[in-house]
Amino acid sequence: MNTSQAESTFSQNDANILEEVMNIAFGKASADLARVVDIRILLTAPRVEFLKADDLLQWIKQDTKTDDTLNMIEQNFWGKYTGSAFLAFPSSASKGLISLFDDDDLSLGAESPLLEKETLLEVGNILIGACVGKVAELLDDNVSFSPPRLVPQVVIDNPSTTAISSKLNDPDKMAIMIKTVFNFEDKDVKGFLFLVAGEESMQWLKAALKNFVAKF
Amino acid sequence: MSKKLLVVDDSPVSRSIIKKCLPKDQEFELYEASDGRQGLEKFQEVRPDATLLDLTMPVMDGFEALEEIKKIAPDAKVIVLTADIQPKAYEKVMALGAAMVIPKPPSSEALAEGFSKIGLI
Repeated sequence: MNTSQAESTFSQNDANILEEVMNIAFGKASADLARVVDIRILLTAPRVEFLKADDLLQWIKQDTKTDDTLNMIEQNFWGKYTGSAFLAFPSSASKGLISLFDDDDLSLGAESPLLEKETLLEVGNILIGACVGKVAELLDDNVSFSPPRLVPQVVIDNPSTTAISSKLNDPDKMAIMIKTVFNFEDKDVKGFLFLVAGEESMQWLKAALKNFVAKF
Repeated sequence: MSKKLLVVDDSPVSRSIIKKCLPKDQEFELYEASDGRQGLEKFQEVRPDATLLDLTMPVMDGFEALEEIKKIAPDAKVIVLTADIQPKAYEKVMALGAAMVIPKPPSSEALAEGFSKIGLI
């Protein structure tokens, strides 16, 4: 399935419904994280795009407008809707996340790579779990998750196939890309959440979106 | 007598859902806007009896639109209808003068209750 085939299978109206479902899901995810870190998270309206999977990283580069490397948290999910979620932070911004979890009980120093890794994984786990879980709930699906995995220091111009999921480097795979930007108020930390689902989920998703709207 | 209701939301799907959830036993004169800036302009033009306002929108978000609406009409009845269910977002819109917050997706019952609470129906 190429991009135009995917777009014809998945209409503009389907994309609009999916954006609204994602809007609700991202809202739930940010509320869950805000409860943990006591900070307000500013959201952008979600955007849906159809891409070839191997164009994804360049798209992220253009969209994030960063020449920095990215720290990415990846979590796979399986249900009728199956795919991968990626939460990406410019590497330089990752340390700012640690201050969100300003916990005196933490015995690790603020400069500890382990603390940075654990913080990224925890933020990713909360945001991805809440977001994908809410999508599944709204669309009457039930998903299971892989543990979150940190893919550090992704160089967008030269992504190593060993460094990042092969899903992003399969030239024939189509992806439904859903993006929102999380901006942590007063912390100057931006994160980008992307959900990538392959074409095998597309027909189910189309029907599920129709059913979602029909509930009202 | 029909009530003038302004719905400000960037999502056509959300606006459609809201319209489906409006109380069937009431008549509404509906006005729509797809971002905060348009919503503000429409508010000035029609002076609705109530406004349903999304928060996460392009061009001008709902926080700014609410603030501007309240400058124009301090008594404006604005119900925030949003997916942003963070406590700090709730506190901020209530401080800005929202009548109440209804989380998305709305239900017919929640909208009817909200309209009743602000005296619209």
